[in-house]
Amino acid sequence: MSRDHGEPMNLSCKDRDRIFEDGSAAEWASLETHAATCAACAEELRSWKSLSIAAAELRDRTDSPALWPSIQQALVKQGATIGKRREGWGWRSLFANFSVSWQTAAATAFVILLMVSGIWILRRPFTSLPQQGSLLKSRALVDVKNAESAYVQAIDKLAVDAKPQLENPATPLMANYREKILVLDSAIDELRAQTGQNPSNAHLRYELLAMYREKQRTLEEILEEKR
Amino acid sequence: MGNMGLALAWETRIPPIAQRGRRLEPFREQIAAPDRGADANRMEDAALAAACRSGDLHAYERLYTQQGARMKNLARNILGSSTDAEDAVQETFLKVQRSIASFRGQSSFVTWTFRILVNTCYDARRSRLRKKEVATDDEQQHGDAAPRAEPRAAVSHPSLRLALERALAKLTRHQRDVFLLYEVEGFRHAEISEMLEITETASKNTLFQAKKNLRQMLESPRASNVAGPR
Repeated sequence: MSRDHGEPMNLSCKDRDRIFEDGSAAEWASLETHAATCAACAEELRSWKSLSIAAAELRDRTDSPALWPSIQQALVKQGATIGKRREGWGWRSLFANFSVSWQTAAATAFVILLMVSGIWILRRPFTSLPQQGSLLKSRALVDVKNAESAYVQAIDKLAVDAKPQLENPATPLMANYREKILVLDSAIDELRAQTGQNPSNAHLRYELLAMYREKQRTLEEILEEKR
Repeated sequence: MGNMGLALAWETRIPPIAQRGRRLEPFREQIAAPDRGADANRMEDAALAAACRSGDLHAYERLYTQQGARMKNLARNILGSSTDAEDAVQETFLKVQRSIASFRGQSSFVTWTFRILVNTCYDARRSRLRKKEVATDDEQQHGDAAPRAEPRAAVSHPSLRLALERALAKLTRHQRDVFLLYEVEGFRHAEISEMLEITETASKNTLFQAKKNLRQMLESPRASNVAGPR
């Protein structure tokens, strides 16, 4: 093992493997200079470089004339399939230019939007009476409710007057009236429950009004019988 | 490099070769002059990727013209068969076309293509191995690790090439890949690190280990003795 004191860098045989692995240009130059006076390093260097030269034996650049036409044909065929798929899924191309993280964020935002919309729609009948629909519609609904309330109070007064006859029916006819009033009250309770859940449903309101009218008419008949 | 050569058992000596391939010096990366065309190459690479993304078949043809022979050579050295290599190159082009939309330009388009090629080659090797397992247990014993040898273009040292092929087959996959990519195909460590998803240091270390192992396998015992201390 020899050392050449004229080397540009202070180098020893021990540095050889490190230079083989990751030596700088200057270190390689120093190793070459060192190898000129060190037989062992000269042999190692020659052997090491020989591998690079031997690798050239594995380099074969002969042309394959049939290969590109075959690749081209396959590309055209696959390209047509990809084109059809893209036509069918055109909206996907909007997302193709975004990274996966952005696509995930967009998908999450979309799901949250869907959930919020769903909750809002479900809760709307119970909580948003003043907000829903137009102002005119809301005001009309309040007017209907007020009128209905006054109508119910008026009918209740009639019911109070007819109560003695109904509680102790003296005739079969009065007993029938009593049954009819019970059925009407039951139907009215049910309709009021339905209109409570869906206050803007005009059809339910008309049905309820018809029931009140029938009750009013029945009570008037009972009071007429009394006289 | 006047008298370089491996101390092969049959006393083969490689004659001086002035220009063979792109680079020969072991320290080629350090001594390479600043590449004035690097920016132009990057732009060309990006333009090629963009053209391929737009579905331009001429761009794929350009990629083939530039890299096809190198791709086929690498595939042949991994698979050991020209036919399998051509299949792997074709499959690589199809994979590039299928997944070009996902190419973000973190690496160069060419190194990305070679990464697909290397993976495709190993997929093909695994597939071939499975077929062999199904076909016969005897064949499996002989053919799973070493690629099949087959006639190739005339080379100056056929015995050296054969010895090198046999020795390469005994290396680990990473060592073989790095050796083939660096020494045979002429890629830089930076490019290899992108292709194999390893660090540059790992690439350098793997090449060092590969060459050490190859030298051990290729050197005659007598040559080892005269080599002196290490």
